[in-house]
Order: sequence, then structure tokens, then C-alpha cells
Amino acid sequence: MTQIGEVALWLALLVAGWGAVLGFYGGRRGRGDLVLSAERSVYAVFALLLTASGCIIAAFLRSEFRYKYVAGYSNRELGLFYKITGLWAGQTGSLVFWALLLSLFGSIVMFQNRRRNREFMPYVAGTVLAVLAFFMVVVVAASNPFQLMDFVPPDGRGLNPQLQNYWMTIHPPTLYLGFTCFTIPFAFAVSALLSGRLDTRWITTTRRWTLLAWFFLTCGIIFGMMWAYVELGWGGYWFWDPVENASLLPWLTGTAFLHSVMIQEKRGMLKMWNVLLVISTFLLSIFATFLTRSGLIESVHSFAENTTIAYIFLGFLGALILVSAGLVWWRRHAFAPENRLESFLSREAAFLVNNLVFVAAMFAVLWGTTFPLISEGIFKQKIQVGPPFYNRVNIPLGLILLFLLGVGPVIAWRKATPRNLKRNFAFPLAAFLVVGIATRLAGVTNTYALLTFALAAFTMTTIAVEFWKGTRARAKIEGEGLGVALVHLVERNRRRYGGYVVHAGFVICFCGFAGKAFNSERQAALHPGESIVIPSAFGHTYQLTYQALSWYPATNMTKLVATVEVKRNGESLGLMTPEKRSYKQREEVTSEVGIRRAWNEDLYVILAGIDRAPEFMQGTNPQPVVTLKVLVNPLVPWIWLGGFIMAMGTLVALWPAAEAVRAPARAAAREPAGAPVPGLVGA
Amino acid sequence: MKRQRKFLAAGVLLVGLAGYLMVTAMTQKDAMTYYLTPVELAERTAANPAFAEQSGVRVGGRVVPGSVRFDQKTLDLTFTVTDIEHGTHAFPVHYNGPLPDTFQEGRDVVVEGNYRPGGTFQASTVLTKCGSRYEAAESDFKGKQS
Repeated sequence: MTQIGEVALWLALLVAGWGAVLGFYGGRRGRGDLVLSAERSVYAVFALLLTASGCIIAAFLRSEFRYKYVAGYSNRELGLFYKITGLWAGQTGSLVFWALLLSLFGSIVMFQNRRRNREFMPYVAGTVLAVLAFFMVVVVAASNPFQLMDFVPPDGRGLNPQLQNYWMTIHPPTLYLGFTCFTIPFAFAVSALLSGRLDTRWITTTRRWTLLAWFFLTCGIIFGMMWAYVELGWGGYWFWDPVENASLLPWLTGTAFLHSVMIQEKRGMLKMWNVLLVISTFLLSIFATFLTRSGLIESVHSFAENTTIAYIFLGFLGALILVSAGLVWWRRHAFAPENRLESFLSREAAFLVNNLVFVAAMFAVLWGTTFPLISEGIFKQKIQVGPPFYNRVNIPLGLILLFLLGVGPVIAWRKATPRNLKRNFAFPLAAFLVVGIATRLAGVTNTYALLTFALAAFTMTTIAVEFWKGTRARAKIEGEGLGVALVHLVERNRRRYGGYVVHAGFVICFCGFAGKAFNSERQAALHPGESIVIPSAFGHTYQLTYQALSWYPATNMTKLVATVEVKRNGESLGLMTPEKRSYKQREEVTSEVGIRRAWNEDLYVILAGIDRAPEFMQGTNPQPVVTLKVLVNPLVPWIWLGGFIMAMGTLVALWPAAEAVRAPARAAAREPAGAPVPGLVGA
Repeated sequence: MKRQRKFLAAGVLLVGLAGYLMVTAMTQKDAMTYYLTPVELAERTAANPAFAEQSGVRVGGRVVPGSVRFDQKTLDLTFTVTDIEHGTHAFPVHYNGPLPDTFQEGRDVVVEGNYRPGGTFQASTVLTKCGSRYEAAESDFKGKQS
């Protein structure tokens, strides 16, 4: 197995390097044979990486602990599921996994475009393969998963208990899918620069890829928040930890890109901006991977500090920046806009401000995240930037976005007339005022929270009005019932209405974030029968009564479970069971929090301490005192709900429309197979 | 062209707003904290005893084996932290709250809080550097050889 897997990795490096050179060279020279070889290299690298990944998984399944990687992340007792996910549990495996996903997407792109976009494909193949070659260099040079130890331990160290969680197994691959997926639009941008075709073609071709990347990235970030919330046991979901920030960075520029491409499609503006945005998004994806893998910045996520990897990554990032900047400079005259901005009160202006805000947020987060390195370089002193910094910058920016979210989609292109403004914004403004005043009267004094709820009402109203107007118009014209008309409306304009759904989800998420202003927490040591009383921001109070503690052994761990009865305003809601688990393998203790989810808030219980636990388990301490920490987190369920709605909206926008499914068939009929020579459109 | 200049000015204004937010965010309390090793902390406090008294600092060190006391009732945690590299300049730390999951003797931690030389470091947060996330060194397996 060692031989097969390791040989596959080396071959993947060679083939990727070979194909990258051929792609660029063949593209410039118009050599169809070389280009074909480059495209086939992408398929070949995929096959090779699939083999290597298969070998890693096989080594996990067969518990081959002579591999350092397997011994480090598995043991005999580990379940089948976590043995398979061992592929991305640690650094070395996850880099192979990253490359595997990229080669998969590369292969799909090659197949989709085998008869289309011929002037782009040599460079797309070249770019994808160059990135793959880089990852293979990292893997074989600095973190080989097939590294053997000179002895075979009888058992492995097992998987970190905190990673033995459902969200944790799907969170990294989802993020990776997002990161790698952004390589495709980037590759098309590079090929547009190289081939000189800087019209909207590269954007329309990669529109779905961008959406797909955004979908995965959004889901990945939200899965990460869910994991932190249930597993880390401090009742929060976002810590402004460097690696969380790293995943947010490409999301911010990617979201800006999703919006600004519409300006280019509709109005022929922002051409250079779009190229720059997609390049930055890709660079930030690589940067995010680098930050996680190198351990350069202190973080709960960081793997071992591996300086070799850090240097290779920094070199690659530097080269990417130089080459991209050079290409953009080289083509700087080809970006002339077809139109100019005409008024502040226009959709273009709203989108532009949206873009600036996203990019500003990105710079703020990037600045805060890399500040320890900057300060160490300049002042020889590591200074870390904490959550107050990020909140102070990003909450106002987020509120501007929330406002634009309501304005952008409904304001007129070019220049809005007073009539247009009145017709579109009278209702939403009324909603803004009503909700603002109502929440103030309900006792909300936090300015940011007030603004969030009022702006949310404003934005939601514009979205609802848009749906209503479209549905009513269609129902009238087509003579359909309202329900049917709504379905058809969305079906015919998936991108537009899918986008509205995403916006609605984002607004709900934001309200969820604002709920943090109303958290309450209590902590107490309790004898059996004693209670904690905690108020909720919604006006009721919870009473939690500690009833008993029990313990029992389970596979590979011992569980200590507290039974807590919950009452809301005296009415019983049932039992909650926060746990402490001690894992045999690593002598680790983890807390499994108890969460009672309602539509508007979470009751979150941590079993923080057990007095004389060993005596309890021996039977000499039958009535142990436990310390509970209880939190009421208002509106947290809205974050997950909003995330879910955002994901659904993206899928609506992504789903191929009926016309789009038919279109390639027509295109293929016009271009008979075999006829087009992989061509070039020179500089 | 005049109009385009107007838009440019608006853009500059927006960038200025973002810049203003960033600058004020950097200068507000608790936004920035020194990240030090115990050796560096000792040097700093030797020069200025009040250095870490008002504004908090973060110190990365190793939990001294045998020093950990955790009161399961009050959740008071006390332990001694020493320099990871040199094993010197130990100082006591006090923290109140649930024990972080991966907190163990001998592990590397980051404590954030206030300190006065000769006193106890009052930590508001204790971050465990997730020891299990580290790549295992070969020596980690040697003990298991039978």
C-alpha cells in the first residue's frame, strides 16, 4: 500500500507540473496536441490523487499504525466513520484531500468545456494544474501522509475527542470545497487575461462555479459555528479566532464578487475590479489554507508549527500576487468601462458601496488577523487584536450592508426617479419605523440591536414586496393561482429570486447575531434537589433543578451525566442531561453541553464541575455536589435558520433552469464534435 | 467629469469611514493585548511593576505538573505557568469558570488577564492550545511499545 500511495503522489506531482507547462505553452503557441495533453493531465491527476486518498483511507481501515499519520489520528477502537474521515483529520491528509477536490473540480470543468470556450481552456488547465503541482510539492516535501515510523506502535493515539462530532467531520470538507471551488473562476480570470478576452464571457461561464463555491464556503462557515457552539462549551459560536477569520476573508471578497459581476453583465462596468476581486478571493483561500496549516498565528485550530510549509506557502502566495498583478497591468488598457456611473440613487451605486463595504470589512479582518505578525516584525513585540476590535469595525459595516440589502435589489438602474423611490421605499420605510419604535417600547435599548431589527424589517419588507409584485403580475398575465404563479415566477428567474431568498436568510442571521446583546448567565454549586433560576430576555424565567448524577462506561470513554429538570415559569419542560466524558485513549475530558432549543432562544447548560467525582464513582459519595453554568442565548436558533435559508436560496439560484439544460445541446449541435481545433485567440 | 469627481469623493469618504472605524477600534480598551512569554513578562514587569496591572496581557506558557488545583464547587482554578522554552520564570495563575476541555498538566496554555509581580495572575480567559491537534512526535508512541 505504501508504495502505491506514495508513487501516486509523486506521479501526480510530475503530471501536474508537466500539464501546467504544456497548458500555458500550448495555449500561447496554438498547439492543440499539447493542450489536449494538458487537459488529459487534469483527469490523470484526479485519478492519481483518488488512488493516493484511497490508500490513506485503506491504511486507516486496516489500522496500519506504522504510518505516523494513521497512528496520530486513529486507534483500534475508533468507529468506522471516523476512520474514513481520518483522511482530513490531520494536516498531511487534509492537504491531499484539498488537492483531490481541486482535481475533481478541474476534471469537471475540462469535461464541461471539452467543446466550448476553447480559447480559455489551455490556460484554465494550466492554472489548475499549477495550483495542484504546488500542493503536491507541499505534500511530498513537507508533509507526506505515507511517512513510516521505524517501529510499529501497538495502538494509535486516537482521534481528538473534540473532533469526534458530526459537524466537525463535515465542516472541514465543506470549507475545502468552497476554497478549491474558487480556483475555477480564478483560472478563468487568468485565462481571460492571457487570451485577452476580457468581455463578460469568463464571468458567465463561471457564474455557477462562483455560486457553488460561495454555497460551500457559507455552509462551511456555519457548520464551523455550529461545531464551536455545541462542542467548545463556552456558549458562543464565533471567537474572531485567526482561522475563523481566515475562512471569512475569501467569503467577504467572494460575496462582493457575486454582486459586482452583475454590474459588469448589465452595464459593462467594473471590469478590472472583478478580475481583482476574483484574484483576491483565490489568494485569500490559499492564505486561509496556509494559516490553518502553518500554525504561524496562534489559534485553537492551528496544526503544528511547520516552518517548511510556511515558507513554501509564502513563496507560492508571493509568486501568485506578482504574476496576477503583472497580468492585470499588462492588460490594463483592455478594461475600459462601457458606461459611467450616473447617480448616487442608482443600483450601480448601491452595488458599488456594497462592494466597498465588503472589501473594507475584509481589510479590517485581515489587518486584525495578521497584526501579531506585523507588530512582531516592526516593533519586535507580538500584539494580538481581540474581539472588541472586530466588533467595533464590523458591526457598523454590517448595518450598512443590511441597509443596502434592502435598497440594492429594488432601486432603478442608472438613475432612480423620485417616483420610483416613493413607490419602492414607502412601505419598507414604514416597516423600519414601526419595528424600530415597537422594539424600543418593548425595552430594547442597545443601539446596534435596535438598528439591526429596524433595518431587518426594512429589508424584509422590500423582499416581500418584490415577491408579491412579481407573483401578482404573473398571476394576472398567465391567469394562474397565486401559489402556482409564485412557483413559476421563481422557476423562471432563479438567480433573482434565489438571491432574494439568500438575502432573507442573511437578514435572519443578522438578527440572530444581535441576540447576543441580551444573553444572560448564571453559575452555582448545587446539592441534589437545589435549583438555579435564570431570566430570559423574552420575559420569562427558567428554573433548573439538579436531580441526580449518574455514570456509565461507553465504548472508549466513561460518561458522567447530570439530570436537570427544567421549568419555564413553573411549567415543566422536561429533562436536560449535560455530560462530562473522559476518554480512555488520550486521558482527555470533554464537556457535552445540554442545549434546549426553542424557536426564539437556546437554554444552554454546562456541567462545569463535579465535587469528588472519583469517590462518587466508587460509591462513597452518593450525593455529589455539581456546579452548573447556565446560559440563555436569545435568537441563536435564528442564525442556524438564516444559514439554512441562505443555503436553500443559493441552491435555487444554482439549479439549472429548464432553458439552461437545453442550451448546451443546441450549442453542441451547432459545433459538430471534433471540428473545433483547440485554438487560441492571441494577445 | 465633474460628476465622476463627486463619486470619487464619496468613495474616498467611505474608505475614510472604514479607516476611522479601524483606528478607533484599535485604540479602544482591550482591543489590543501584548502577547508575551513568561520570560518577557518578567522583563517587562521588572522595568515597570504596573505594566500588566491595568491593561491585560496574554501570556503563553506551560502548566507545571502537580500545580493544578480545581475546586469543583466554586470553579476556582489555580495553577503555575512556566516558560515553555526555558522552564523558568514561573508564576501562579487564578481563573474562575468551567475548566477548558483540553486543559491538562504539562500542556501549553495562553492566559489573558492582569498581573502584578509577586502576586497572582488573575486570568479572565484560559485558552488551551489544543494539544491533540499537534502532530504526534515519534516519541509519543514509544511509551506504548510493549
